[in-house]
Amino acid sequence: MGKRFKKTLFSVFCLGLILQGVSSLQARQEGASATGEGKNFLRYEIWVELDEETKMLRGKEDIFWSNWTQEPIPDFWFHLYWNAFKNERSTVFQESREEGRLGIQVGDDDWGWIDITAATLADGTDLIPTLEFINQDEPTHPGDQTVARFLLPEPLLPGQEMCLRLEFEAKIPRGILRTGYYQDSYFIAQWFPKPGVYERGKGWNCHEYHLNSEFFADFADFTVHITVPARYVVGASGKQVSAVSDAAGKKVTYTFEQTNIHDFAWTAAPHFIKVERDFLAAQEVTEEEYAAVARMVNLPPEDIRLPDVKMILLILPEHKSQVERHFKALRAAIKYYGLWYGPYPYETVTMVDPPFRTGSGGMEYPTLFTAGTGVLRDRKVLSPEGVIIHEFGHGYWYGLVANNEFEEAWLDEGINTYSTGKVQAKAYGPGMMPASLFGIPLTWFFKFPVYYDYELDRIAAILAVELDPITTFSWHFYSRASYGMNVYMRASTCLHTLERLLGEEKMLRILRTFQARFRFKHPRTQDFVDVVNEIAGQDMGWFFEEFFFNTLNFDYGIASLKSYEKKEFFRGFFDVDGKKEKVTRASISRLEKGKGKEAGEKTYTTEVRVRRYGEAKVRGEARLKLRVLFEDGSEETRFWDGQERWEKFIFEKPTRAVSAEVDPDFIWLIDSNLANNSMRLKPCRKGILRVVTKVFFWVQLGLSGLWGLT
Amino acid sequence: MSTLKIFGKGFLTAIRKTRLALYVWLATVLFSLVILAPIYFLLSHDFSRSLAGDRLDQGPLLLWLGDMIYQHRDDFPFLAGWTIVPAFLFLLLYVFLNGGILGRISVNERVNLPAFLSDSARYFWRFVRVFLLSILGYILVLGILGRGVSALLGVWIKKASSQWSTLAASLLKLLVFLLLYSLVKMFFDYVKVRLVVTESKKTARATLANFQFLGRRFFRAWGLFLLCGLVFIALSLVYYLGAKAIPAGGVIPLGILFLWQQVYVLALAWIVVFFFSTEYEFFKAHQYQPAEQT
Repeated sequence: MGKRFKKTLFSVFCLGLILQGVSSLQARQEGASATGEGKNFLRYEIWVELDEETKMLRGKEDIFWSNWTQEPIPDFWFHLYWNAFKNERSTVFQESREEGRLGIQVGDDDWGWIDITAATLADGTDLIPTLEFINQDEPTHPGDQTVARFLLPEPLLPGQEMCLRLEFEAKIPRGILRTGYYQDSYFIAQWFPKPGVYERGKGWNCHEYHLNSEFFADFADFTVHITVPARYVVGASGKQVSAVSDAAGKKVTYTFEQTNIHDFAWTAAPHFIKVERDFLAAQEVTEEEYAAVARMVNLPPEDIRLPDVKMILLILPEHKSQVERHFKALRAAIKYYGLWYGPYPYETVTMVDPPFRTGSGGMEYPTLFTAGTGVLRDRKVLSPEGVIIHEFGHGYWYGLVANNEFEEAWLDEGINTYSTGKVQAKAYGPGMMPASLFGIPLTWFFKFPVYYDYELDRIAAILAVELDPITTFSWHFYSRASYGMNVYMRASTCLHTLERLLGEEKMLRILRTFQARFRFKHPRTQDFVDVVNEIAGQDMGWFFEEFFFNTLNFDYGIASLKSYEKKEFFRGFFDVDGKKEKVTRASISRLEKGKGKEAGEKTYTTEVRVRRYGEAKVRGEARLKLRVLFEDGSEETRFWDGQERWEKFIFEKPTRAVSAEVDPDFIWLIDSNLANNSMRLKPCRKGILRVVTKVFFWVQLGLSGLWGLT
Repeated sequence: MSTLKIFGKGFLTAIRKTRLALYVWLATVLFSLVILAPIYFLLSHDFSRSLAGDRLDQGPLLLWLGDMIYQHRDDFPFLAGWTIVPAFLFLLLYVFLNGGILGRISVNERVNLPAFLSDSARYFWRFVRVFLLSILGYILVLGILGRGVSALLGVWIKKASSQWSTLAASLLKLLVFLLLYSLVKMFFDYVKVRLVVTESKKTARATLANFQFLGRRFFRAWGLFLLCGLVFIALSLVYYLGAKAIPAGGVIPLGILFLWQQVYVLALAWIVVFFFSTEYEFFKAHQYQPAEQT
């Protein structure tokens, strides 16, 4: 086939795309984002072939892209993510070096890269001479080649479309940052040249590949043709529409299609076992469940009905016994995410048990995610269940509500960590702490404590609070640990706190509204705050100010509790009828005897000092509740605005206090010291003794074990 | 004398000398209290007046554990030091007690505390030297030989194509580690036995002589050692099944569990006596007949 002929064919193809694109563009303009954020119409058709000998991908990619904004665009920016693995001068490796041992390791033969070998517009204009790598993220890493741009021969005018054909070659890295190969297994993610997101009035949002961050791209329609050796089992984003063998029967080309997704990943390995099941909504969800959720979200039950979904599992042979475990978790995820946050809109979801040593476990891609398990797993420990629920959940928070993960990762990771905990608790209850020795689960033999996710999240939340605000750009966090702890766990803890503050029903409505309003869009934190304010019916901006945009520790507690008999007589000199009268201890004693005071008539003064130990404050309409319990079983409640550093509360009752407690309803999960939230009048060590007794044995065992060294 | 007969004799000796296990158990109790004291005071400081204190072993564990971690995140070096130093001291105490145990096993007398302490003191410095030599032994055998085995397994698992291979390699490594460890442990146990039986103070000479002694009857000695190890495993299994049978919650079950745990710790101390008894009987049967017993 001649070059001119190919160019003509390409032009005809692009014309078809343009016509299709214009109609879609019109349809989308009608449903423009409420936030004013423009969306670019985007469509890909990609042909890629896996060369297993050289570990290379060779591909062609047609990108149809239109200028959705009101401004002319002079250039075209795109990601070449695999160049992060090209050499140690990439941003990823530079950042990794700063992390020390937490950084990534790569062998001399494990590098990967991607080269654009040809780039032409529909009219045949060659863009390769204009190719330029961009380093605009601060701090700059000049050697990084993960973002590039073409200068367009003419600026792309508002409403104008362009059709770009790229040809690329990519060396597949040995499993690194959730992509790559090991032996003959491949997990291929972030592999194709992907345009950045053009933001109206701001220009291209196209960040380098950072160690801490994930990704951001526009919604698009994908058609991807993947050619692999015939022995491979392939899974990919979207729906498989064909599988065609070549004449020799040595290669098979799989075609996958999916509309309205913003990324595309695939996997291929010869030993995958492919299992399919259907999520049948009629069997999974009862009418009572629909009715209960409908009441909570204030919608008719028919509006929240779930569709059926084809569930595809690619699992390794050594995990075959866990097939049903995987599907059970996925069913729970489809059910509860669907009921709570809106129906899953795609026909398929593909769950991949990550190929051995490709390091690709626990990651989300549109309509496809990787789980991760081991050969010996205890059912009491919710793994792989937790990761399955979490990664499927990203289909909602990242997949459908597609925030900028570079800049505001909490919007998907934080909300999804919160959601995962809710779904997991609903479907499974608490899970047992994982513990294993030489690969053998110790939980088979010993009873380890059980916990809900929010408990674990809280530990990270209070440890990470003073490092970074949750809303920090991903690569600007103090460390990788701070990124993880703040973005996932602290954000989740704050959302749990918000739920406790506003009520479960309002929180559900907030998340459902946020999901519905920003599906297939790119919301920002302020969009979430706006939804919270709207549903809560009050200005909750302070909550985000205190907990998301700042590094303020939240800790209120009882500083002191005193309960003593109220004085009726006072010593000293007093002016009585113009004379000085002296009152002594002896005279008080006489007065009391004369009065015939009995124990039952005594009045006790109870003083409670509540302190704000942290910098964060309750604000807005929120108040801090104080509850004091008394010996006669009565209780008193007071509310404090919590603005000053401390406040004294005084109660006068014919009985002594037993205890005082701030936040007795346990609303402020984010409080960094729950122990000081309450105080007894008299100490009690029973619980402490029970714990120490239990630990005592383990210390003895440890000491007994030392004999082995003598 | 057959290995089984020696095993039986050792067992009977250990039963006769059970009081030695009581001394060891008492030592673990005292040292455990020392190690736990700061933890108890920390918990008391944080929780004795808090309502959360009631629920420490019942409610959500991670909530109060989170409080502890956050409040005392700067105290961890101190707490780690507080745990390590007594543990090291306990190691030395064990070296001391070993002398008493072996000294009392080697004489046909009723066990009493003064004699036990006297023997402990008598053999202490000799056993310290054995202890130091044994560290060298562990480094040589586990550090060098063990690392060699690990490297060999590493070559295998580097090319592994499934998790089963890595799990198998990991278990194999554990097995090799345990076997190598048992060799070193047994070797230096016999050095101690020799020092007690021969009343020698020459540790290095006893160590060298031990090569000859064990070289001639290595498999029988090792078999006996592993047989004693099986007793340890059996006792642990009995403890485990017993502990599982005790219902959770409530003061009485907790009390029963505590007593059962103490029985197990006592049994572990008895196992120490049992190992030494069988090794002593083995040594006596093959090498040396004390004058007072011939």
